[in-house]
Amino acid sequence: MAINFTVTDTAGKSWTLSDHLDSAAVFTFQRGDF
Amino acid sequence: MFAISADTAPMNAAVVEKMALPFPMLSDTGRQEAITPLGFADEKDPREISRPGAVIISPDAEVVFSFVGRDYADRPFEDVLLDELGALGLPPTEQPPPELGEILPGDKAMPLRGLGPYYRGAKFAALAIRGRHRNLGDDFGDDLKGYVEMVDRYLEALPGVEERKA
Repeated sequence: MAINFTVTDTAGKSWTLSDHLDSAAVFTFQRGDF
Repeated sequence: MFAISADTAPMNAAVVEKMALPFPMLSDTGRQEAITPLGFADEKDPREISRPGAVIISPDAEVVFSFVGRDYADRPFEDVLLDELGALGLPPTEQPPPELGEILPGDKAMPLRGLGPYYRGAKFAALAIRGRHRNLGDDFGDDLKGYVEMVDRYLEALPGVEERKA
């Protein structure tokens, strides 16, 4: 099933997966506050 | 490649700046956009952070690889991810990374100069525990061996961070 999501980039702008799939994308998930 | 956390955009910008990350960090503060749908939420953890791990999403938006870690030290090495990507036979992206906006590290963020001692301490603690409990079997030994290997890779990568920042 195709997925899509919108998160926020480091410039504070919305970032939507479907706008950035010109190739395969790797997402690593971080615990954060590192 | 991208990283996702439940931290705010300014906190992520601080990590990108501190580590001179060659890839963008994205913020899913409510954990409802990507972290939970992709299986990385830990409902038992009151800190409302993401589990560690990785996914690979194909150009037609299908998840073709997923690894959800048990804890902060359980994540796939980059060569595993590169092998999975290589098998897809796709060209690299040509998109530029997003810019950094406000940089505001979190209260618990560790300065870069603290990472070397932190990693070395973690490594030697793991080695000591492994030495004390050799009777616990192969699973325990393998877990600790993998943990030490992970920390060694982080220690090896630290000089590269300094070079990128120079």
